[in-house]
Amino acid sequence: MIGYVPGDSPLHRAHPYTPLAWAGALLLVAFAVSSPAAIGAVVLAAITTAVVGRVVPSVVRPVLLLALPTWGLLLVLHGVLGPDPRIALGPLAVSQPGLTRALVLGGRITAILFAFLTVLATVSPARLVEAMTARGVPFARLYLLVSTLTLVPRMRARAAQILEAQQCRGLRLGGSPLARLRALGPLVLPLVLGALAEVDEQVLALDARGVTSGARRTPLAPPPDRAGERVLRWVLGLLVVAAYTAKFAGHGL
Amino acid sequence: MKPIVRLRGASFTYPGVHVPALHGLDFEVRHGEVIAVTGPIGAGTTTLLLVAAGFAPRLTGGTLAGERESLVARPGIVFATPWTQLTGLCHSVFAEVAFGPASHGVPRERVLAAAQRAMRQAQVEHLAEREPSTLSGGELQRVIVASALALEPDLLALDDPAAELDPAAADALYALLREVAEAGAAVLVATPDVERAAKAATRALLLERGRVVRDGTPTEVLA
Repeated sequence: MIGYVPGDSPLHRAHPYTPLAWAGALLLVAFAVSSPAAIGAVVLAAITTAVVGRVVPSVVRPVLLLALPTWGLLLVLHGVLGPDPRIALGPLAVSQPGLTRALVLGGRITAILFAFLTVLATVSPARLVEAMTARGVPFARLYLLVSTLTLVPRMRARAAQILEAQQCRGLRLGGSPLARLRALGPLVLPLVLGALAEVDEQVLALDARGVTSGARRTPLAPPPDRAGERVLRWVLGLLVVAAYTAKFAGHGL
Repeated sequence: MKPIVRLRGASFTYPGVHVPALHGLDFEVRHGEVIAVTGPIGAGTTTLLLVAAGFAPRLTGGTLAGERESLVARPGIVFATPWTQLTGLCHSVFAEVAFGPASHGVPRERVLAAAQRAMRQAQVEHLAEREPSTLSGGELQRVIVASALALEPDLLALDDPAAELDPAAADALYALLREVAEAGAAVLVATPDVERAAKAATRALLLERGRVVRDGTPTEVLA
């Protein structure tokens, strides 16, 4: 599942900026380093984040769904079609530099997916709104960001309802790939048309409730931002600067 | 007392449509009134609410011809489908109800007081900690009504607000509309439920094809 998973882990309790800063730092460091070992460490850090957030079961599936096809493509492109020298990998002779390249690129993608899906699963949109409101971020802009983050779970819930309704009316989901493809029509059309129809009412309701009022929103329960977390975010920033400084000085990992 | 909304020869046409949804309306709304707006499907009842509350054409697009004078500062709106009116950002009913006044920049203590009062009025206090997406349609509709009341609207527009409610909750809602009007707001309710509307309304309008064909007491209009 992609979206917020209520919980009580350290990441759930943290100020929303802290997991965001952590994921942002992992992303930047993943592009600052280029050895498989360093990328492996970044991936490990990203997986640890999901473990600390106690959201591994929710995060692993979408990560695998998104990362595995990419890994396959990278291994074929770089490993099989890459330059010499070649090494034996079972019955295949694969390109050694290509394999290294595939490991680095695939590792980056995996780390980024783990880190950001963990943030999505552990940072409550409501707490993020409160935190950003307390910092004076204009609410209309904020709403656009957060409603985008919550779009996937809302659409999933809606799709599940439509699917149940269509199954009651005789829609069959199994069968050949062609039959499955045909079954998409009765799902996608009502999903898209329903969403468009609802947008009108939602715009009016949200306008009445002040989303476009331009007033500075009142934070009701801004999450506490402890000194330790602020220090951690500064340390993460310095780590990123150090990683890029080393990279551009020719001492990168 | 000066009307809160006054329409003179007002016609409204939605974008991309040639036939006006409202034709030559002469109509006033005053503080303390509960006006039941009824008519067959397509008569323009919803459009009348949107024009009176100032949402059309500002948000819907389209053209408003004629005169519209308005003193409405804080309109509230409730539609028949509560799930389209959720913010999608709040993980508790209390946060959902407090969302509106907080977004308008009302000071924190007043937001909390307004949300508590609105939840009490809509009889959803016991749902305060519930996740809105887990509520039934009827519970959710009462939460949406509370969210509109928390804005302390000077004009409250409701479009078939009892569609999701059981008979007892519908009775309670219409009684509440009367209380809201007695506290000084103007209430416009578009509804096919003429029986309940007749009990709660101080005035009624019957629309047909975008025109007001009757305007008077509920007994005169809804009989």
